[in-house]
Amino acid sequence: MGQASLSVSQALIIAIWVAAVESRSLGYATLNLRFSPLMTGLVVGIVMGDVPNAMIIAASIQMIYMGLVAPGGNLPSEPAVATAIAVPVALLAGLKPTAAISVAVPVGLLGNYLYQVRYLMNTFVIRLTDKYAAETNDKGLTLSIIVIPIITSFALFVPSMFIALYYGAPVIASFTSSFSGSLFFHVLDVVGGGLAALGIALTLKVIGKKQYLIFFMLAYFMAVMLKPLKISTVTFAVVGVIVAYLFTLATSSKESEK
Amino acid sequence: MIGGGKIKMSDEKIVKREAPEKITSKDLNKSWLRWWYANEIPHTYDRMLAPSFLWAMTPTLRKLYKNKDDLKEAYIRHTQFFNTQCNWGGGTILGITTSLEEARAKALAEGEEDKAVSPEVINSTKIGLMGPLAGIGDAIDSGTVQYIFIAIALPWAQAGLAVGALFPWIAFTVATFLYGNYFTKLGYRLGRTAASEITGGKSMKKITNGLSILGLFMMGILAASYIKVSSPLVWTISGKKFELQSILDSILPGLLPLLTVLGVYTYFDKKGLNITKALVVLSIILAILGFFRIL
Repeated sequence: MGQASLSVSQALIIAIWVAAVESRSLGYATLNLRFSPLMTGLVVGIVMGDVPNAMIIAASIQMIYMGLVAPGGNLPSEPAVATAIAVPVALLAGLKPTAAISVAVPVGLLGNYLYQVRYLMNTFVIRLTDKYAAETNDKGLTLSIIVIPIITSFALFVPSMFIALYYGAPVIASFTSSFSGSLFFHVLDVVGGGLAALGIALTLKVIGKKQYLIFFMLAYFMAVMLKPLKISTVTFAVVGVIVAYLFTLATSSKESEK
Repeated sequence: MIGGGKIKMSDEKIVKREAPEKITSKDLNKSWLRWWYANEIPHTYDRMLAPSFLWAMTPTLRKLYKNKDDLKEAYIRHTQFFNTQCNWGGGTILGITTSLEEARAKALAEGEEDKAVSPEVINSTKIGLMGPLAGIGDAIDSGTVQYIFIAIALPWAQAGLAVGALFPWIAFTVATFLYGNYFTKLGYRLGRTAASEITGGKSMKKITNGLSILGLFMMGILAASYIKVSSPLVWTISGKKFELQSILDSILPGLLPLLTVLGVYTYFDKKGLNITKALVVLSIILAILGFFRIL
């Protein structure tokens, strides 16, 4: 192989590809792109001018993610991010896919955090959506629902992926190891985990009468108690329908007795 | 109250409303395409995919509600918490919601506000369906259909061929797009039948209450998995180690997430729906507690 590292333009194109996938800016078509390494492997292969070998490496990474091949160590989160790192590493340094993917672990971790930062930024942008919805401003809604979130994601993913690709994954590794478990990511986890309460409380306020709040509590404690049994949402929905039916049956028979 | 308000009538005059435009198959296609595209782009922590659903619905709502206040009410209605899988959940719910909104718009235009499908029915239907349909969709699409295509293409990828990557991506994307679009139309037909049974019938109040209960029940299930609040606090007294979270779990599991959601609920109940303030205050409280590693 003629080159020892990626050129600026090669690193930039791959970084933009990853940002396009992680921003979900290609619609639901990004589901497969985000969770399967194959397409990212192909893109890296095209950029580096070695499609056959890139595909062979991507296929091995796919098998690792499908559990068909045991990884050398931890499996990185965000397969597309990890593949964008692992395939160039494997092609340039001649590492085996299982070794190359473990090089990508810290970058996958960073990608996962950036994905959460994306949620957090969107959570604040939704104030704009609320405003434009109240104004029935369709152009404004396209701006706050589509345009701004995509720009935010690109601003997060392009520079970090470029650094990882151009200066090497170890730079990111030293960054995440000094940061992960560090205060910044911990605060991000806490805020993200708690903010769902806001949307849920708002929905409770809007959909339900106060005296029915007891059904929320019933379901909440059922779900908490039965968590170890891994009961599916569909099963809970069946129980929910039965509960709702019994309640309306009981109250309507009481009314007809009167 | 959001989404539940009535049009204020000046001088007791009845608001005259223009009749809604007809919803065609083309409208449903457009709506589906918008949902399919927006899907995960504006994902948030507090409303999840609600903005995408709103963005998908806006052209339809504009055709249905010719009265500005009705339109505004409908827009705000769809800013509420919504999360589901794209095809099985999103497609179906989009179709059903469209038919319910259409039935409501028609009844309002005919001046029969008391017989119209209520905002509560629309909201509760979305919430009741989104969880179970997401469960079905995730298992079938992400968990099965996707891997069938990948398994077919894997030998090609192993042989170094580009088609090994292109085939599973294109096949999965096209197949799910097509049946998601079909679910939108199926949902619309189902919703129309349901809407005609709800409206005007004596059972309307019963159905509204039943759906409201189901909605609250499903929110309880979702709350248990979506809200993550726990404490890492550990302290040692005379060599004995105390872990706050395990003490709390031995008293009442799930206490902290429940307190968080009920705290915000009480805030909304007492102070009105000031969402921005609630967001900022809650974020700051969580960030401070996280910073001192109390949470």
